[in-house]
Amino acid sequence: MASGTSEAASSAADLKLQFAPFSSALEAGFWHQLTQKKLDDYRLDESPKCIKGYYYNGDPLGLPTRLTLEFSAFEIDGPTPARCCSAIGTLYNTNTLDAFKTTDKKALLEKEAKEIWEAIQSGAALKDPSILSRFILLTFADLKKYHFYYWFCFPALCFPEGIKIVQQPSMLEQVFSAKQVSALQEAYDGLCIKRGTTAVPYFIMKYTDDAVQMAALEDWDAFFADTKKVTVGVYDPCTLSQHPGWPLRNLLVLLAYRWGSKLDTVGVLCFRDRTLQGSRSIQHSLIFQIKLPELLHNSACPKSVGWEKNPKGAMGPRMVNLSECMDPKRLAESSVDLNLKLMRWRLVPSLDLDKVVSTKCLLLGAGTLGCNVARTLMGWGVRRITFVDNAKISYSNPVRQPLYEFEDCLGGGKSKAMAAVDRLTKIFPGVNAEGYNMSIPMPGHPVNFSQATLAQAQRDVEQLEKLISEHDVVFLLMDTRESRWLPTVIAASKRKLVVNAALGFDTFVVMRHGLKKPLLGQGVSAGADSSSSCSSASSSSSTPAGSAPTVPGSSLFSNIPGHKLGCYFCNDVVAPGDSTRDRTLDQQCTVSRPGLAMIAGALAVEMMVSILQHSEGGYAVASSSDDRMNEPPTSLGLVPHQIRGFLSRFDNVLPASLAFDKCTACSPIVLDHYGREGFNFLSKVFNSSHSFLEDLTGLTLLHQETQAAEIWDMSDDESI
Amino acid sequence: MSWCGLDEQSFHLCCQLLLQQSEQLNDGWSWEVVQGSDEGYLKKTALRVVNINPSRKWDLEGLNSESETQSCQDTERDQSAPVSTDDADDFKGNFDEEVVEDDSVCSEAAGSSLVLQYEYHILFSCSYSVPVLYFRAFTLEGRSLSLEEVWSSVHPNFRLRLQSSPLNTITLQEHPLLGQPFFMLHPCRTEEFMRPVLQEAQHRHRPVNFVLTWLSVVGPVVGLEVPLKYCTLLRPAASPD
Repeated sequence: MASGTSEAASSAADLKLQFAPFSSALEAGFWHQLTQKKLDDYRLDESPKCIKGYYYNGDPLGLPTRLTLEFSAFEIDGPTPARCCSAIGTLYNTNTLDAFKTTDKKALLEKEAKEIWEAIQSGAALKDPSILSRFILLTFADLKKYHFYYWFCFPALCFPEGIKIVQQPSMLEQVFSAKQVSALQEAYDGLCIKRGTTAVPYFIMKYTDDAVQMAALEDWDAFFADTKKVTVGVYDPCTLSQHPGWPLRNLLVLLAYRWGSKLDTVGVLCFRDRTLQGSRSIQHSLIFQIKLPELLHNSACPKSVGWEKNPKGAMGPRMVNLSECMDPKRLAESSVDLNLKLMRWRLVPSLDLDKVVSTKCLLLGAGTLGCNVARTLMGWGVRRITFVDNAKISYSNPVRQPLYEFEDCLGGGKSKAMAAVDRLTKIFPGVNAEGYNMSIPMPGHPVNFSQATLAQAQRDVEQLEKLISEHDVVFLLMDTRESRWLPTVIAASKRKLVVNAALGFDTFVVMRHGLKKPLLGQGVSAGADSSSSCSSASSSSSTPAGSAPTVPGSSLFSNIPGHKLGCYFCNDVVAPGDSTRDRTLDQQCTVSRPGLAMIAGALAVEMMVSILQHSEGGYAVASSSDDRMNEPPTSLGLVPHQIRGFLSRFDNVLPASLAFDKCTACSPIVLDHYGREGFNFLSKVFNSSHSFLEDLTGLTLLHQETQAAEIWDMSDDESI
Repeated sequence: MSWCGLDEQSFHLCCQLLLQQSEQLNDGWSWEVVQGSDEGYLKKTALRVVNINPSRKWDLEGLNSESETQSCQDTERDQSAPVSTDDADDFKGNFDEEVVEDDSVCSEAAGSSLVLQYEYHILFSCSYSVPVLYFRAFTLEGRSLSLEEVWSSVHPNFRLRLQSSPLNTITLQEHPLLGQPFFMLHPCRTEEFMRPVLQEAQHRHRPVNFVLTWLSVVGPVVGLEVPLKYCTLLRPAASPD
């Protein structure tokens, strides 16, 4: 037994009795309740408050001697858990950390010790011995950070010379016969019933070979009238085999004060009463004899001890940070994350959530698509969401754009980008959202009316370039085709993943743009671009991009590697122009079935997540409708190039198409001009009619050659 | 017997029976009533000593990335600590030299083990018509354990099996009566694993306390032991079924 060493040590120290101090034990509910009390009741009131804790003598071996406070600690008259002893305490809750620090701890202890001493002198402690186990709790609750500072004190009056052990502690079963043990248990249960409780903290007893009698402390004189052999019992929360717990200390002071002059030795029973697997046992209670020191009746209050040591074993307070479980914002964050983790734990074990959550998303457009994309991104736990939009919220918007309300339309309407940020933060304070109220310059929308407009366009371009550099994924969610041109060029040049969603009346397209192969060397164009050249998924991929595996049975439109995929403009044979002037059905998207934006917005985010789960990220080979029966390339399934949806048929298809070498946005010649000339090139595009880009890319020539064959986004005979 | 759930009245009867037995066995269950309502739940608290291997303290699932484990340890260190050393002198203030030498304190410490307080609640789920086990665990400072920490206190061998079993459904939920965050064993599979037990019992005409039988299955998953004596000692007890 481990007690062997301590036994030797204590015999060397002239057999002085040593007590196991209380360890404070706080249930989470206590802090919740203290917070409520502080907010609703105490407010700035620092006056001492009465609270209640309890201790238990039925712990299995190895547990520390505890005084427990739970949420009911503030209900002094409330019930104490069955078979536990209550302890009354004084709560000093300070308003400031400084007051907590500077509170005179010594004075608090002495005040409490004096009250105990007076109760001993007056005899009040005999009638109600629970005063012997009083405690002090000093707290400071920082409710901004949910940090709780606290320090317990379990006041104990001291004998200057200590307490001499006459007979070493033994287990009850070594001293008592089985008959005596069961008689003792019966006597204790009888005493409990007589007193109408389930636990008695202090009692007195006498015993013969076959009987045990017990009585309350206050019956001392009558009870011990016929005997000199005095045994006191203490309900003992300690589990150590050689030491009594703290509650005995003040009892011995009481005994010494009242009967010390008459008594020489006193027997002590440390009553321990545990039930394991339904079997009750008191055999392990401790029994020993001590010599009671004398205390003069006119002596001053003995010195006292009792402040609890902190976990380092030093005299000092403790602090517990409960922001994880009390701060509503932290609770929201952990619940959001937990929901996602559950998906991983229960359904998709290989899901890499960090890749998704850490992705920085730039949303160009904060209308019907932008609102729905943002909400779905939040659902995935994405924290960094940036909006760009130049529009104000109008009365027709809130019913279709779920981030806005009627109030947002008043007074001319709030800026969409800013209002979207506010709403996201309200929905989930853990989001890191930013808004930019700015225009995106467009081909065919001249910017050269004045120096001022030109300078503004240049600033807008620079801002957009900066934003695209700073994000991992760019979502194109605008309501015109031509506004998607500039970000397509910049993102292609910077090798950023682009997810594009566009709506017709009852059709939509959601697509990822082909991700061009990384530039050789660094800083060829767009030198400001930092290390995150493309999505985090592709940067972590070890295979060089573009070395797509050749899969048997590949045809022209299957197994297209990510770098060869087209962009939004690749399928077009006309350059983007002012669509508000020459509208075609395909190019305008303000009138669409209301459910369409939600479907397309959600699909855009889900497509991004699937791309991120692919080991090659944006370079992943495009899945097509034919792959639906095959082994999916990611834990979430396919990684298509495009999803084209037809609401009239409630049907989606997954086409894939190659990048077009005469594309007005992502063809090498456009990217090359942009790389070399930058804003000069862009301003020519903005200010010219669409023939400029068509001439540049060779589309004009193509037109002449092909007699303007009518090519729709997808031919009718494409299989489904 | 196609449906093996429980209605609310039977739930209360089962709970009463369990309480009587717990009283006899001193097993610590009590019925807690929510203030200002007639709703309540069974409650028990228990302490567990967790032996800590410092390097793998909060090793989540055993398959986590280094960084996650690291951050869990950091959080732990951060969250329940003695007040930082910078402040220590400050805190002592007028106190340190007055500390009375007390040689009557025994120095036997608990060692490097961590004592955790567990609180178990049994509530009735109307939507699933089965009992649900809510629980939370906290340190002696009162800090609740995170789900990762709860998992880490489960033995690794046991843990892997649990996570692939129908019981692997520990989620964080707001306590429906207290409004505080609790973990719960999700009830979506309860009926499924109770069905064979109940059918067998019915076949043999043996009374079954649904709550007790269910608890003996789900309790041990989260460290809650149900003594066999509930069954052996108390066989004659009436069953509400």
